[in-house]
Amino acid sequence: MLSLHHHHHHHRFLHFTPPFSKPLNPKTLKPPKKPAHKIHALLQYNRKPQLAGDTPRVVVITSGKGGVGKTTTTANVGLSLARLGFSVVAIDADVGLRNLDLLLGLENRVNYTVMEVLNGDCRLDQALVRDKRWSNFELLCISKPRSKLPIGFGGKALVWLVDALKARQEGSPDFILIDCPAGIDAGFITAITPANEAVLVTTPDITSLRDADRVTGLLECDGIRDIKMIVNRVRTDMIKGEDMMSVLDVQEMLGLALLGVIPEDSEVIRSTNRGYPLVLNKPPTLAGLAFEQAAWRLVEQDSMKAVMVEEEPKKRGFFSFFGG
Amino acid sequence: MASTGTLQFHPISFQLPIWASKHSNLVELRPEFGLSSGGVNRSRLKPYRKLLVVRAVTGSAGCGGEDQNHLDEPVVKSERLTVTVKDRVAKFHGMISSFPPLVFVMNRYSGRNFAIGLCIATAILFITVRAYAARKLKYSRPGSVADLVRRGQLRSDRRGISSPLKYEDPFNNPLVKVGKNNSTIEMCGKVYRLAPITLTDEQQTIHQKRRSRAYQWKRPTVFLKEGESIPPDVDPDSIRWIPANHPFATTASEIDEDMAQNNVNQKHGVPFRIRAEHEALQRKLEALQIEQKLNNLVIDPRNAKDFERPFKEHPRSREQIEQSPFNHQTGDSMPPKSDGAPPISFESKSSSEETQKL
Repeated sequence: MLSLHHHHHHHRFLHFTPPFSKPLNPKTLKPPKKPAHKIHALLQYNRKPQLAGDTPRVVVITSGKGGVGKTTTTANVGLSLARLGFSVVAIDADVGLRNLDLLLGLENRVNYTVMEVLNGDCRLDQALVRDKRWSNFELLCISKPRSKLPIGFGGKALVWLVDALKARQEGSPDFILIDCPAGIDAGFITAITPANEAVLVTTPDITSLRDADRVTGLLECDGIRDIKMIVNRVRTDMIKGEDMMSVLDVQEMLGLALLGVIPEDSEVIRSTNRGYPLVLNKPPTLAGLAFEQAAWRLVEQDSMKAVMVEEEPKKRGFFSFFGG
Repeated sequence: MASTGTLQFHPISFQLPIWASKHSNLVELRPEFGLSSGGVNRSRLKPYRKLLVVRAVTGSAGCGGEDQNHLDEPVVKSERLTVTVKDRVAKFHGMISSFPPLVFVMNRYSGRNFAIGLCIATAILFITVRAYAARKLKYSRPGSVADLVRRGQLRSDRRGISSPLKYEDPFNNPLVKVGKNNSTIEMCGKVYRLAPITLTDEQQTIHQKRRSRAYQWKRPTVFLKEGESIPPDVDPDSIRWIPANHPFATTASEIDEDMAQNNVNQKHGVPFRIRAEHEALQRKLEALQIEQKLNNLVIDPRNAKDFERPFKEHPRSREQIEQSPFNHQTGDSMPPKSDGAPPISFESKSSSEETQKL
């Protein structure tokens, strides 16, 4: 018994000794996935999205035009990812006009920002604000609304930040989401610098489409090839009446793969006001579900194969009279 | 003819209520009912016949008085009608007399139905009241979480950590169901039609080429303020010119980049700036100690007084004196210096003492 125990110890020791063996990420569960495949097929409700690509995946969420829902998307996709079990760091790169903390309801907990980290007033782990609802979600703000980051310096700083997050003790986060400011100014340049992929948020109207096209062009010039779009604030009733461009029209104009289609939902405003992201709502709402689906596709590097076009009258069952 | 029609049906329609009213409550009265109802029928029919005649006369008078034969005809008709009515009544009477067992059975059943109905109604009422009471109790139970939420102590939306998802698959859960032939999807109780995506890779590359032609851009890496000269080894395309009034233009480069990078990568210990400030203070203190200034500071009689006395002799202490004049009596060693303000306070103090004594 003792020898067996000893042997076991020895084995474990041996297993852990190679210093350059890559540690398994317990969250992505990539190596143990193959033997557990059958079980996954059986347990439909417990299946997890397969994380594709190298971690950390640095995703910039951008749009060009303001007010199309970049920050909402960041908050909801970020928290969805956290709920799916991935560790997420959301960076609010909107230097002057940051809002992500408000949307997440973390505004009272932001004491330090990246500015203080750079100045040496605090360490990076002190500036990361951990969400109490989902402890694998962390928020990082670039600066306080009134302080100023030296222009042209932000890009470098963000690259350092990403490197530092990669090398931190508790392991690299799976996702780093960067909430990009509107416009294509210095803030935009800062935000896209460390990114490997981009999520373009647009609404189905020509103003935001033109900006989205331009931003896509700039991203492609910068070498970010993996660009997917989220079409936000879609109204199927207006599309049916041909008062709004359909999602397929938008895709035809931009030529980008679809990550998600978010229907217009009054709950979005309510959740923004509450500082409680939509995806945590119970029962889930239409837009919340759409955000969850988008997050799932982001994990799997998948894109939509079909889109909802119009509402069909629901076929009523015999017992629907009783509230079915 | 319409009037005859109404007449024909009238006895029957008249009969039914009587029959119903009589039989709805009493079963024992049935034998008399047959007779009495028949009597009623016969006696009631006469006025009807009269009524019909009168009606016919008035009707023809309204049309014109010339055709008297028309006036006679309805009378004849009515005679015929009374016969038919009588027949019908007799028939009906016979029918009724053949009813008794059925009526009796129906009555028996209606009584049982009533009892069953009553039971069901009572049960429903009971269930409703119970559910209502339970709901009331749930909300009003003191100390429960629901009660705390109601009183505003807890926020219902963000209390604690939100529970993990019941479903982890956003594509297949109670709220999202894809239709049988993948052409519809039901989300949140609404059914949407699905249309397939038609974007191909070729189209995507065409768009990419179009954009690369339309937008030629190089990410700026050098940021210069307007008016500055271009450094020699810098690509002019990668320069972003910052207008002088740009909000970020004022802070050019206060931060040492290497130091900033070190700061970002620091994982343990005291942050750089704080440690630096601390060390600077330490050095200053040591320097002071070496110069013996600190020793003087310790021996300084004024400072020594500070420790001995309950109040401090600083410009601020006078305010304290003003605020609480009673300190003067407890602090014995300090002779009060009359500088204008203290006397007033003393007067007020003495007056207050007087009032207390009085």
